[in-house]
Amino acid sequence: MKKLLIALSLSMVLLVGCGEKKEGDKTAEIYEKGTIVMGVDDTFAPMGFRDNNGNLVGFDVDLANELSKELGKKIDIQPIDWSMKETELNSGNIDLIWNGYSVTKAREEKVNFSDVYLENKQIIVTLDENIKSKADLKDKKVAVQNGSSTLDAINKEPEVVQGFSGGEPVLFDTNNEAFLDLESGRSDAVVADEVLAKYYIRQKNSDKYRVLDDNFGEEVYAIGMRKGDKQLLEDINKGLSSLRENGKYDEIYDKWFKD
Amino acid sequence: MGYLKDLMPSMLSGTMETMKIFIITLVLSLPLGIVLGVLRKSKIKLLARILEVYILIMRGTPLMLQIVFIFFGLPVIGISLDRYVAVLIAFVLNYTAYFGEIFRGGIDTIDKGQYEAAKVLGFNKYKTFTKIIFPQVFKNVLPSLSNEVITLVKDTSLVYIVGIGELLRAGKIASNRDASLVPLVLVGFIYLCITWVLTILLNKLEEKYAYYE
Repeated sequence: MKKLLIALSLSMVLLVGCGEKKEGDKTAEIYEKGTIVMGVDDTFAPMGFRDNNGNLVGFDVDLANELSKELGKKIDIQPIDWSMKETELNSGNIDLIWNGYSVTKAREEKVNFSDVYLENKQIIVTLDENIKSKADLKDKKVAVQNGSSTLDAINKEPEVVQGFSGGEPVLFDTNNEAFLDLESGRSDAVVADEVLAKYYIRQKNSDKYRVLDDNFGEEVYAIGMRKGDKQLLEDINKGLSSLRENGKYDEIYDKWFKD
Repeated sequence: MGYLKDLMPSMLSGTMETMKIFIITLVLSLPLGIVLGVLRKSKIKLLARILEVYILIMRGTPLMLQIVFIFFGLPVIGISLDRYVAVLIAFVLNYTAYFGEIFRGGIDTIDKGQYEAAKVLGFNKYKTFTKIIFPQVFKNVLPSLSNEVITLVKDTSLVYIVGIGELLRAGKIASNRDASLVPLVLVGFIYLCITWVLTILLNKLEEKYAYYE
C-alpha cells in the first residue's frame, strides 16, 4: 500500500511539472477553426445570463455579437464556472474570458487584457437615511459578496473596515443574498459592483434604495486572452474601437445600463 | 403563478440535464459495481490490490475534484475530453466504487455453505452466482443502493464546475437574473419530486424482493 501511495504522489508531481505550457500564438489556429470561443459565467446578470427561454443575453453577449460581425468571425459562447476561468482559457477550451472580467494585477500576470470596455465602481447601497457617507458606516453591519473584487476593494481601506460592526464585513455567497440581508434589516449597507447593484435595484423596481456618493474605488472590465495570442488581441482591440466609433457600443450600453 | 410559469422552460431543460446525467451514470455504474464487487474477491492478488487502490482514491477524494481532474487535468498528458464525456466518466468511476463496495459487502454476507451446497448440486461457478448468490445479495443490499441512488440525484449538481447547465445552475441563473429566491425554492421542490418518485419506485422494488417476509 505504501509503495502505491508513493508511486501515486510521484506521478502527481510529474503531472504538475508538465502543467507549464508553451506559449505560441494560436490565433491562426482559432481562425482556421472558424470560431472564437468565449467563456461566460451564465449566472452573472446583467453581463451574461439566460432569459426565461434559456437564451444567453446580457451586455457582454450583445457586445460580443456585434464584435463578431465586426471581425467577420463567429463567436461561440461556452458557459463555464467562474472559478475555473483561467484554467479553461489555458487548456484551450475557451479563447476569451469575457464576462465582467475586471482587470487586476494578479490577473494581468496570467492573461492578456484587451482595451477597457466598461468602467465600474464599488458603490455603497443603504436603506438607512442616517448613512450619508463612508464615515457613517462606523459600527454598522456591512454586507459584501465573498470572493468578489468588491471585497478586495474594501480591504484596501482597512481603517474603514475595522470600523464596521464586528470589525469585518458580513460575507455572502452572492450579491443577491447580500441585498436580501439588507432588506431584512440585519445589515445596514451593501457594498457592491455598480453594474450588479444597479441591475438589482432596477429589478426590484423600488426607490427605497439609496446609493451614496462615496465609493470604494473604481475598476475596469476588459476581455481576457491567452498571453500568446497577440494577433487575436490586436484584432479584438480594433473591433472594440470601431464599435465605439460607429455608435453600436452606446446603443448596447443604453439598453442595459441607462437609468 | 405567472412567474412560475415563466420559469418553467429553463427549469425543465435544467431538469432534463440532471436526469440525463443521473440515468446514464446509474445505468453504467450499477452493472460495473456488481463486476467490481465480484472482482474484489478475486484470488489474483495484484488485481485485488489495484481495485483496492482505485476504491481508496474514488472514495477518498471529492467527486468535484475528480471531475476537475478528468476535464482539466488529463489534457496536460494529451487526453482531451468533451465536457459531457469527462463528467460522465468521473461520475461512473466514482459511483462504481461505491456500488462495488455495497455489492462486496452483500456478497460477504452469504454463507460459505451455500457455495458448497451449490457445488454438490452440480452448479457451475457462473450459475451459482447468478441463480443463487446474486438474488440474495441484491435483496440484502437494496436499502443501501437506494440511499446511494438518491445521493446521486443531488450529486449531479456538481457538474456546474465544467459549466453544464443542470437544474441547480438554472435556478441560480434565474435567481440572479430576477433578484429573487423563488427560483431556488422551485429547484428544491423539483429535486424533492424526483427523489420522491424514486423513493416510491425503490420501495416497490424492495417489496417485490421481500419474498421471505
